[in-house]
Amino acid sequence: MRNLWLLLQRHAFLLVFALLLVVSLMVLIQNDGSARSSWFRTTGGVVSMVENQQQQWTNYLQLAEQNASLATENAALRSRLLSMKLTDAWRADSTHGWRVKTGWLVKGPDGLPRTMAMATPGLDESVRIGTGVLATGTAFGTVVDLGEHHARILPLLNTAGTWSCRLGQNGAVAPLSWDGVDPNKLTLNDVPRYVQWTAGDTVYTSGFDLKFPEGIPVGTVIEEVPSPGSEFKTILVAPMLDLKSVRHIEFIQSVSDSERTVLAQPMPAP
Amino acid sequence: MIVLRLVLMVALQALILGEVAPFGVWSQPQWALWALLMVPPQLGPFSKLVAGFGLGLALDVACGTYGHHMVAGTVLGGALPSLHRLLAPRDGYEVTSRPIIRELGVNWVLGVTFSSALLYHLTLMVVDTWHAHLLGQAFAPALTSACWTTFCCMLLHLLVIPPGRNANRSS
Repeated sequence: MRNLWLLLQRHAFLLVFALLLVVSLMVLIQNDGSARSSWFRTTGGVVSMVENQQQQWTNYLQLAEQNASLATENAALRSRLLSMKLTDAWRADSTHGWRVKTGWLVKGPDGLPRTMAMATPGLDESVRIGTGVLATGTAFGTVVDLGEHHARILPLLNTAGTWSCRLGQNGAVAPLSWDGVDPNKLTLNDVPRYVQWTAGDTVYTSGFDLKFPEGIPVGTVIEEVPSPGSEFKTILVAPMLDLKSVRHIEFIQSVSDSERTVLAQPMPAP
Repeated sequence: MIVLRLVLMVALQALILGEVAPFGVWSQPQWALWALLMVPPQLGPFSKLVAGFGLGLALDVACGTYGHHMVAGTVLGGALPSLHRLLAPRDGYEVTSRPIIRELGVNWVLGVTFSSALLYHLTLMVVDTWHAHLLGQAFAPALTSACWTTFCCMLLHLLVIPPGRNANRSS
């Protein structure tokens, strides 16, 4: 104890200096947005690195269990694939509460900012406004207008649309839109500055806009648009497929769509 | 006396002298540094550290830049004892030594003032900028501001305690 006291006495100046510096930095970080974001980015990077290492170890230790689980899932999928028959009727996915119906595009997006897509079928096949549209398993757009045999679709390649997306499977949720310039670059806006990303990360639908179930892939991260001093960042996203060359689509809607639509309405003012 | 000088210089900088920047960001003066540099070199390191921290705190409160000057002042207060030791005369400082031109010479005063101003402005540059990619373009203004602050402090030395005047009767 005496030695410890002597040690503290010997380095008292350094300790007081460090203490005052920490106090000053705390005041700075609490009152300066730029310093705060830089601090959280740095600490977030360290935490992310530690968590990645921990995750790698956990994955390694659970490899045998995951392998068995994947084998079981694989067997189930093979069985389902063998028994699957493509029909024009709605196919219910009882696991996730969604049903899908195949269709095809009559008119696709052409890369111009305001072009709408058109597909068939329409009202005659119970397609509804607000139904999500997939192409090759990725998000394509949503139905905004209906005719007897056709549906008008607001595609991702239209500047009028905003789509609720998630960066990675469990990442931050942010609105995705297209700026009408490059069909190969969508924009993920208002992403909090502390969010970590790497090029190639997948962007999924969040499900919060009620058009798609969560986890439908939308695109992959390309790069970040520099925005110094801002609390949020903008990330460029490449679509999963060439949206201009899509032909076959799937309409996807929730089994309890009408209930969700009613409950999603804002509360009336008292 | 030290505290009074610090308070006076902080008030002067916050109210009037802070605006004396003829070349904008290229010459942001820190007049209050003069008060910290007038702390006698033979004083204990804790006093210098606390004086630096106090100067930063007072400047932050007066200028509304919470934290920026506190960090810079603490860094300078912590470095000042080493700086004084580094530039000490061969026989050390006398008990009554004061950091003025008449007693320690113009080279000593100029060296301590410029080194301190440079350290202060570089620290301010880091905490003002924060992002590493912006530090490069902030370096040159910090350097010129340190030169300007040195000039201002030397001017104060000459105005308040001229080299030819008896230092014991001044201040």
